[in-house]
Formats: sequence, structure tokens, C-alpha cells
Amino acid sequence: MRRTPRFNINGILVNAAALVLVLSYALPYVYLLMTSIKPAADVQQIPPSFLPAVVSLENFREVLQSSALPKAFASSLAVAVLTTVLSLAVAVPAAYVATQYRRKITTLFLLFALVTRMVPSVSLGMPLFQLLKSLGLLDTIPGLVLAHTSTAVPLALLLMSAFFEGVPKELEEAARMDGCTRFQAFRKIILPVMIGGIAVTALFTFITSWNEFLYALLLTSEATKTAPIVIAEYNSVYGLAWGAMTAAAVLYSLPVIVVTLALQKQIVGGLTFGAVKG
Amino acid sequence: MDVDNVVMAIMLNFIGGWSEGLAQRQEDLMRNLLSASALALIFMVAPANAETINILVEGGGEMLQKAVAEKFAAETGIEVKFTVVPYQGVFDKFSAEIASGSSAFDVVTIDVVWNAKFAGHVEDLSPLFTDAVRSDLPPALLADAHLGGKMIGMPAWANAEIVFYRKDLFGKPEEQKAFQEKYGYPLAPPKTWQQWRDMAKFFTRDTDGDGKTDFWGTDTIGTFSEEWMAHVLQAGSPGVILDEDGNVIIDNEAHKQALEFYIAPHCTDHSVPENVNEIGWGEAQNLFYQGKTAMMKFWAHAYKMTPADSKVSGKVGVAPMLAGEAGIAAIPGPWYNVVPSTSQHKDAAKKFIAFAIANNALGIEAPLGLAATNSAYRSYSGKPGYEHFTPLLETLSAPATQGRPMNEKYQEIVDEAVLPAVQQALTCKEDVGELLANARETIEDILD
Repeated sequence: MRRTPRFNINGILVNAAALVLVLSYALPYVYLLMTSIKPAADVQQIPPSFLPAVVSLENFREVLQSSALPKAFASSLAVAVLTTVLSLAVAVPAAYVATQYRRKITTLFLLFALVTRMVPSVSLGMPLFQLLKSLGLLDTIPGLVLAHTSTAVPLALLLMSAFFEGVPKELEEAARMDGCTRFQAFRKIILPVMIGGIAVTALFTFITSWNEFLYALLLTSEATKTAPIVIAEYNSVYGLAWGAMTAAAVLYSLPVIVVTLALQKQIVGGLTFGAVKG
Repeated sequence: MDVDNVVMAIMLNFIGGWSEGLAQRQEDLMRNLLSASALALIFMVAPANAETINILVEGGGEMLQKAVAEKFAAETGIEVKFTVVPYQGVFDKFSAEIASGSSAFDVVTIDVVWNAKFAGHVEDLSPLFTDAVRSDLPPALLADAHLGGKMIGMPAWANAEIVFYRKDLFGKPEEQKAFQEKYGYPLAPPKTWQQWRDMAKFFTRDTDGDGKTDFWGTDTIGTFSEEWMAHVLQAGSPGVILDEDGNVIIDNEAHKQALEFYIAPHCTDHSVPENVNEIGWGEAQNLFYQGKTAMMKFWAHAYKMTPADSKVSGKVGVAPMLAGEAGIAAIPGPWYNVVPSTSQHKDAAKKFIAFAIANNALGIEAPLGLAATNSAYRSYSGKPGYEHFTPLLETLSAPATQGRPMNEKYQEIVDEAVLPAVQQALTCKEDVGELLANARETIEDILD
């Protein structure tokens, strides 16, 4: 006998609220997407229209034909990947030590690491400019990677510390009893458990570097200019090329969306890591 | 380079000019004088060691200077590299370079609103301002370059607001007849404040009969104050916001009259879309391009940039900016080439700037189609597609046209005092005199 589905008013309300929340977050992006496929003449229609009257790919054609954007995408990708790798290489072991071997000095270390997040980026821009200039690293990929790493490491440290808080000390002790050194225990036992947390941290670090604007503006010129700068150039003093700008922004957002979808399992696992630990 | 070669270059330039016919003779003479002066300057300055100069510029500026840079490289062997950044990036990067004490840039192309900020950090370019160069530039552009007893920059291109109108509507016999009957004078591109208001009221209408206005005579911009400043000059004020001695004059009679005129189409005539404090340059331009307004006051470059698929393509007419008691006046929007004091290649940079002003017309083929010199604009004024050059030049060269106050705190003054006053006036509930008196106090506080 077939069971009649139960009418659950609470479930419907919760799902409806969730849907409204998701739509409110997604709306600006959907509007961006809609604008990017409008013909130039309709982009700034007054009053504005949400849906395009005619779907046109001319904005995408225009930005893909530009010589600056593909090069800027490559620079952004190189900088974001290297920043992510470097930040994780520094932050993961540091966070582990700071949380598992807690001393006054490790607490202070975590506190000071947060200081760079409390200071406005613009006030750090000038010292970074002078530092990199004296090192001959202006307008180079390594220079921008170092600058981005300086802001990404505290974020990665903060996130990884939260994840490591959920790891029982007994895990490392058991590995040590089985003959592992501390580093082996960290590498072979702890890190595999932390894959979800590392994925989340990597994603946030990648996005931080991928979208960063101010340091890229100050520290790069033509050789290593990143995509956010090129996209901002569509806003000229003599007008804003909405169509091209939105098309470039849509293209630029795709890698992050793809990476997020690819790592979805690990990210959800990472975000819920420790949630059920007693 | 010896003197013989210099003389030969100058002679060849003159011969070239005289051989092209009598009709163009006067204009060619001016161009060749400029070329000759620039060439003489180029060859007289010490030979530069630099093979490359770096120019920091905003996106539109690269397009306007690319052709001249290519010609310069071909003729001198000095390579020109552009570093293109977003608008605000020019200010930020140049500021960072100054703070660092050495510069990667040899020329920076800056907006006039930054002239006062950077005046103390750039080279004096007075030697490049020969008599020929000076006589070929609108006086307002020369005045904006003169700070602290030196010429801090050479104009690269300039812009100004002019009047745009719908040629098709102004040319319709039935519209002309109706206007004549209602206002007692012929319908023609507006020249005065009263004509502007009359025509804006006349064209404001409900075109689809649904009881709602859907076509307006013009627009009022509530997010920028430069258009009101132009009216201040038209009304005869000796300056905008500050006089030449730095005294605050924002509450003088001309400022009041100009503000009353500026808000009238919205508050009294209802001949503009209602959301005035949401209308900026982009919105005003789009309203016109989409065929929703009959007239606009706008920067001249918009004429050449009218989209081919716009509802008004081929129907746009242009005229000089409006005139008040002091005649035609506008706030110019020039950009200047400056040489940072920290540049490593100052001689080569100055060579480029002299070359650029002598070949100023080369930028006109760029999409924005702007130049700075009278001769550059005149050389295109008869050509189809460049009908806006004559009204632009008339506006830029008008005796009452002058720049914004050359004060380091200009932007703060605008953001904290001027724009709030204009926006409050546009609520139509405040007394204009009181608003300007309050703005005066705020500005005095900022300057103190």
C-alpha cells in the first residue's frame, strides 16, 4: 500500500526561507549574468530590465578579443595558486603546533597573526610597495605572491586553527606509540584527517588572492597585471562599459565556481568537521 | 645633432605647410610653427640617455596618446611604454611612487583635479610653453597648468560640456510652429538659460497617452556638481567656490542665481525625470541615447561615441554651452602630462611631451577623439562626424570658461560641502541662500 506523503508545514516554511535566502545571495550574480548577455544598447536601459530582450554574446566576444584580459587571467591564476600553496605550507603546520602544543607564546602568536587582518590594507600598501621596490620585486609574480601571502596566512592560520581544535590529541599519541615521529604522525595521520579543512582553507585563500585589488594595483604594472585591475579599467573617466565589464566579471568568476563545485564534498566535510565531536 | 639639421628640419616643415594651398594656409602656419618650435626644443635639449620612457595613464588616455607615442618612437628611437590603470589607480600609483622617493614612471597623465595635489612633486615644464604653444591653447587650460610659479603640466587633451539636442525634433515644422506660438520666438538650439528652460518644458510630454510623462526636455544631474559650476561662471562669478586669492565665494549672487537656475527644471518646470539625485553622467547620457530626453548638457566626446544602434543615432545636434550674463562658460575637463621629479629620464620625458603637443591632432582618431590645441580641433572641424569640435572649441575658449579651484582639498570641499548643498537644493524644500551660506561655513572649516 502506498503511503500518502505527510504534509509538513514546518518543512515547507524552512525550505521556503532557505530558498529566499539563497535567492537574495544569488540575485546580484544573476543580475550580472543577465547584464552580460544583453546587447550594448540595452545594458543601461532606463528603467532597467532584469531579463534581456535579446540574448547577445557580443560582450563576451569583445572581452575575449581584448589582448589584455587573457594575459591578466593567467597572472591572476599564477598568483592565486602560488599564494594558496605558500600560505598553506606556512599556515597548516603553524596552526597545528599553535593548537596542539598550546603555550602562552602560541596564543600570543595567533593573536599577533590576526593583527594584519585588523589593519586596513591600504595602510600596509605603501610599506609593501617600498619593500618590494627595494627588493626589485615590483611588477613580478613572486612580489605579488609575497604580498598576497602576507594577508592570506593569517586567514589560513585562523581557519586551520579552528579545524585543528577538533582533532583529539590522542590521535597523535596513538601514532607515536605505533612508532611514528612527530612529523610522521602529522604527515601520515593528522593531515589525511584534515583534508576537508585544508580544502576549505585553500578555497578561501585562493578566493582572497584571486579577487584582491589594492595590492595588485599598487604592486604591478603591465607585466603582471591581474584580472581585477583589467576589469576595473572598463570603468573609464569617460564612461563605464557595463556590458564588457559584466562579461569579464562572469568569465572571471567561473574558475572559483568550478573549483567550489569540484571540492564541494571536501568543503562540506570541512565545514562540519568537529561539529559532532564530544 | 648640429644646427644645420635643426634649420633644415624647420625649413622643411614650413615648405610642407605653404605647398598645400591657400585655404589652409593660416591653420598650417600655426601647426608648422608648433612643429618647428617643438622640433627646435627637441634638438636643443641635452641628448637623452634613455631608450625607453614609461607613461602612467588611465585607459582612455592610452588610446589618445598611442598614435603620438608610435610616431615619437619612430622619429627619435626612444621607446614609449604605457602602464594602463583604472582611473583612481593613476592617483594611487603616482602617490605611491612619490612616497617611495624614486619613480618607475617618466610621464604621468593626470586629471586636472589632481594638479594641486601633485604640483610639488613634478618638474617645471615652462620651457616647453613657447609662444606658439601658448597661443594655440585655450586660456583656461594654461591657467590650470600654472601652479606655484611653474607650469606643472602640458595639456594632453581637453573636454567640456556642450549642448546636445535632437536635430530631428528641432527640425520638425509642426514642433517649430507649436513652439513659436507658445513662446513667441523660433525653436532653435538653446543659447540662454531662459531658452533652455522653455525648450525643456516644451518637449516634456506624455507620448503614449497613459497619463504619465515618458519623454522629458532634459535631465538634471544630482550626483555631480560640475554642471552647476559651469552655470556659476555663466552668471559672472569671478571663480567657482573660491576666488583667485582662495577666499570662499560660494554664497555670492552668481552662485545663488546658478543654483536657482539649476534646480528650476526639476523643482518648478518638472521638465526632467524626477529621480534627480540618482542621475549621474552615465544615466544622463543613457537617457539621451535611449531617446527619452530632447536635450542634454554633456561632455563633448559623447557626440562621437553615440552608439550606432542608439535610437538617436544620426539625429544628434550640438551647440556651444549655454550663456549667462557673462557669456558662454564651462568647466573644462583637461588631462595633463607631467614629469615626476623622481623620474630617471626627465629629458626624454620632456622631449615626448613637446612632441605630443606639436602632434596633438594624432589623438583625434582614437575612439574618444579629443585633443587640447586649437589647431588640432580646427584641423578636423569641417570633417563629417566631428561637428562637435566647433562648439567645443568655442566653449573651451570662451572668456568666462575657467577651471575648478586649484586647491589640494578640492575633492574634500566638493564631497563635504558643495555636492550636499546641490543635492539638498534639489529636494526643492530648502532655501538656496541658506544652503550656500552653510556650505561656506563647511568649506571654511575644511580650509582652516
